[in-house]
Amino acid sequence: MEFRNFSLLVRDTKVHGFADGLERGELLASKCTSCGKVQYPPQSDCPHCFGTEFEWVPVHGVGKLVSFTSVFVTPDHFTPDLSRTAPFSAYGYQPAPVGIVEMEDGLRVMGWVLGLKADSLRVGMRLAPRPEVLPDGRATVVLVKAEG
Amino acid sequence: MGNVAVVGVGQSHFGIRSDASLRELAFEAVKACLEDAHVPLADVQSMVVSVASDELSCALQPSAQVVDYIGFHPRPSFRVEGACASGSMAVRTGWMNIASGLADLVLVVGAEKMTEAPTARATEVLGRAGDFLWEYPFGMTFPGYYALIAQAHMAKYGTTEAQLAAVAVKNHHYGALNPYAHMRKEITLEKAMNSFVVAAPLKLYDCCLISDGAAAILLASEKLAKRISKKPIWIRGLGLGTGSLSLAHREDLTTLGATVEAARQAYEMAGVGPKDIDVAVVHDCFTIAEIVAYEDLGFCPKGEGGRLVEDRETYIGGTIPVNVDGGLKSKGHPIGTTGVSMAVEITKQLRGEADEGRQVPKAEVGLSHNVGGNGQHAVVHVFSQDKE
Ligand SMILES: [Zn+2]
Repeated sequence: MEFRNFSLLVRDTKVHGFADGLERGELLASKCTSCGKVQYPPQSDCPHCFGTEFEWVPVHGVGKLVSFTSVFVTPDHFTPDLSRTAPFSAYGYQPAPVGIVEMEDGLRVMGWVLGLKADSLRVGMRLAPRPEVLPDGRATVVLVKAEG
Repeated sequence: MGNVAVVGVGQSHFGIRSDASLRELAFEAVKACLEDAHVPLADVQSMVVSVASDELSCALQPSAQVVDYIGFHPRPSFRVEGACASGSMAVRTGWMNIASGLADLVLVVGAEKMTEAPTARATEVLGRAGDFLWEYPFGMTFPGYYALIAQAHMAKYGTTEAQLAAVAVKNHHYGALNPYAHMRKEITLEKAMNSFVVAAPLKLYDCCLISDGAAAILLASEKLAKRISKKPIWIRGLGLGTGSLSLAHREDLTTLGATVEAARQAYEMAGVGPKDIDVAVVHDCFTIAEIVAYEDLGFCPKGEGGRLVEDRETYIGGTIPVNVDGGLKSKGHPIGTTGVSMAVEITKQLRGEADEGRQVPKAEVGLSHNVGGNGQHAVVHVFSQDKE
């Protein structure tokens, strides 16, 4: 999958395999083969040891919600037609919440919160990140309610 | 290292300046600054220009527009950029220019023309100051980033939406007294609390304005400063810190590490602490940003920033008056201009020349705090009436 299907703006990067992972249903972090540092978002290069070789490792499990918001006044790319005149329109546009979760190993993952209303979200609640391929072929990361 | 002083200040009116282009706004500020200093442009040796956005100014090297329009060539000039912190970086660069001995008299100009772009476009351009590769794909905007900071601060310290609104009420109170401010009107707590949501929990009145405007200061070496000005204002401490591009990379969302580092450097260089500051301008691009700045600059313990403004301690007469020029919130935030305008305000306060109703009595030491993006850069300067 072209990396731009995730990034919207960027096509060329050494970690373009991240988008292939999303397409396969895998959320991937990078692991430096020299020092073992795991990074998300993935980096081809390691700022800890300056190593330049990495391998893909999956991001597993459930995280804790660190913070969240819902962006009503959207940038160009995300502006729904109805609220083109936002912020001054009276249209009842409801954006999906966006959050950051912290995984058990300390990695932090940003994603769209799926299937939960903004007013039911609390900092500290358990959410799991997972890849999501959208109907238009783009791919992204979503945060969903943890099982159990 | 030589001492450097501000010997002239000027700025344009901020606002939706549909009457003027980028270069014309800059001209207004430069003219006011040189008249204030009683120095002809011919005496100025070098120029530092801060224009934050190529995209909003429709061109590469927007500084060339400014340099050409005021007739500065062929003398040295360059542009400095760090998103919303560009202006303070330009002040720092001007200082370096003089401290290095390259020049004795340097003009620092900040200018930005933002309102010609539609709101959605400007929102996109500003939002991309954050991590446009990994976080922009989630529809992140500049208010969105600060909303994440606000939500985390509220969860950790119990900061309330009313405390956020109290920042807006204060800054609009003082902005109403500033003839150069974009939105010269008082607002009530109710009005702020009931305004529409931009990025939850931030509402319209939690957000700074999108403004056009320019500001300029003239910096002089010690040799020239006393000859030019009866009241030179000395730049005593400079600090510049950096922070992660990606917000998700921050271990603690409730603090800007870049501010903490910049403040540490500036206080140490000036030999002062937060208690010595008589008046401050801080980067209130959003109300939460002002509250976090109180804490990161040491004006109150961590987590108590909301209470500080609620208790009116940042009004004139309180322990530390903050943004009594209206701040970015009411004065306006032409992004590349803001840092230079902050230096204009602190200079006026320390000269005792601020407008009626918003002059801090006996202000001798002032501080400016300017943030780029959502904390990728922070710049802190300490100004003083005294050279040492
Ligand atoms: Zn490594």
